[in-house]
Amino acid sequence: MPVVQTEKLSKIYNLDSMPVHALQDVTLSIEKGEFASIVGPSGSGKTTLLNMLGGLDMPSSGSVWVNGRELSGMGDRQRIQFRLWNIGFVFQHYNLIPVFTAWENVSFIMLLQGRDKRAIEHRTNQLLEEVGLGDRKHARPAQLSGGQQQRVAVARALASEPRFILADEPTANLDTKAAMNLLDIMARLNNDKSVTFIFSTHDQRVTQRARRVICMVDGKIVGDERHER
Amino acid sequence: MEGLFFRLAWRNVWRNPRRSIITISAVASSVVFAVFIQSLSRGTRDGMIDNLIRHSTGYMQIQDYRFQENPSMDNVFFYDDRIVDRIRQATPSLDLVLPRIDTFMLAAGEQVSRGAMVSGIDADKEHRFSNIRDYTIKGRFFTPGEAGAVIGRGLAERLGLGLGESLVLIGKGRFGMSASGIFPIVGVVDHPLPKINQQVVYLPLETAQALLSAKGYVSSLQLVPGRKTNTESIAGAIRKELENEDLRVYTWQDFMPEFLNYMKIDMAGAYLMSFILYIVVGFGFFGTVLTMTMNRLKEFAILLSIGMSRSRLAVVVLLETFCISLIGVICGIVAAFGVICYFYRRPLELKGNAAEALIERGWSPELFVSFAPDLFYVQGIIIFFIAMAVFLYPLIKISTLDNLKAAKS
Repeated sequence: MPVVQTEKLSKIYNLDSMPVHALQDVTLSIEKGEFASIVGPSGSGKTTLLNMLGGLDMPSSGSVWVNGRELSGMGDRQRIQFRLWNIGFVFQHYNLIPVFTAWENVSFIMLLQGRDKRAIEHRTNQLLEEVGLGDRKHARPAQLSGGQQQRVAVARALASEPRFILADEPTANLDTKAAMNLLDIMARLNNDKSVTFIFSTHDQRVTQRARRVICMVDGKIVGDERHER
Repeated sequence: MEGLFFRLAWRNVWRNPRRSIITISAVASSVVFAVFIQSLSRGTRDGMIDNLIRHSTGYMQIQDYRFQENPSMDNVFFYDDRIVDRIRQATPSLDLVLPRIDTFMLAAGEQVSRGAMVSGIDADKEHRFSNIRDYTIKGRFFTPGEAGAVIGRGLAERLGLGLGESLVLIGKGRFGMSASGIFPIVGVVDHPLPKINQQVVYLPLETAQALLSAKGYVSSLQLVPGRKTNTESIAGAIRKELENEDLRVYTWQDFMPEFLNYMKIDMAGAYLMSFILYIVVGFGFFGTVLTMTMNRLKEFAILLSIGMSRSRLAVVVLLETFCISLIGVICGIVAAFGVICYFYRRPLELKGNAAEALIERGWSPELFVSFAPDLFYVQGIIIFFIAMAVFLYPLIKISTLDNLKAAKS
């Protein structure tokens, strides 16, 4: 069963009373363990699609299914709860909680899930080690570099043990070294632990590492290629 | 989990220390102003009432009911130990019974004469209640039965009389008897009530009774309760005891209706001022909260995106609000305590027309502050709730927040 799939997904925005078709009949299926990248020019609908997959936005028509459950049928509270347990997010601007340390940022999600304290401690330490920040766990976001913050964001996204992780332009604010480092970590997690990643990106460095590249133009999927890496 | 929310809220409070300090200062200064306005109003009112009670009417008086209508010597009543015993039996919580005989007479010096209020008193008992001897600025207070007078400074100046000089008193005694006498001035008092200062002549009770052909008679008995809060219950008990007689019990409220009306207006003014302050404070907070909320919309959206529920987010913001408001109120109460302490020791003194208006009414131009504990916590609680109410705005915003719009903001 796919971890996420869409069926004839459409989104129409009204911009100055003019309908704008951000997504048009997008049908897509992502299987567990995929390392997929959604590419396309600005305004092609990448972010809109990502928002739909994450339950952050509702389609005008069509449906999104995550692990067999339709997101558009859920109420606001249910969707938030569903995101907490099923979807991890990595944002372009990291968006960590500035007053929390790296360790607290990662453990926060699990605390929201109401997990056991000892399990939280163990998993938080493990995740920070995996993203190479075991020695920076007490640093606050302002004390970390952009690359380090994004690695904390990845650890945070993984903390809830989600079905898949949505990463919106994760490398856009990183220099090459930090971006490659982040991609290495993500690829390793994908290979070793079958974590499903779905990126929206302009970045060639991400596209080159992706095993599936979905190309969008004007709200439609115009290409869907799979690569062996 | 609760600990985590509190930690997040507490750190958020200090995330932007300048903003938090400004907000806390705003809450604190509001508490200080609100406490000061109410304290000044109540303190001035209580101070004036206390002054008037202590130096003029007393808490309660027993008089012949006709004396209120016609304060002549024909309407005085006989006073001896029996009546005091009856009163004390009726109400054991009475502290002092002060016999007085008061009348208006013409006071004259060598050149000038003026109307004067002649008050025959038991100086020892009066001093226990009003510390009257402490106001002596020249000479001394008379001894019981002495044929000497103590005169108010204002009257002494008007009559051009000084210590040791003779004061002539002319008036009407009991049953139309002519009353006149010459008394050496043994002391001058600077009475705290300006109106009384300008017209009072104190004589020993027995001397005044003899002057007014009213031996054994008094115009009033001032009753001093052990606790001033017992005034009404004591008055009630004595009323019952004197039910079928010509004597009546009056409380201080009966003697100063004009003053009480003035105080009601003054209190209404203070409440109006406080109300305006609350509105200004509310809008001030709202401005801060509005800016703070708008600055954090994206942050709220991110937290919702990663799975924090709106209710949990609201709890965190509410805790932030609670912390800021509570710190502000506590700081405000501490600061207000300092301010009130200062003005308690150094009462504000009105000058010019405002002072004259009060003096004309016979009231002191000093404005006192009250140290009543309820002023601090009541104003603190009001400001706290105003702050909390204003901070409902971010909670409403959170409950209706559109993730995507907010994330793009």
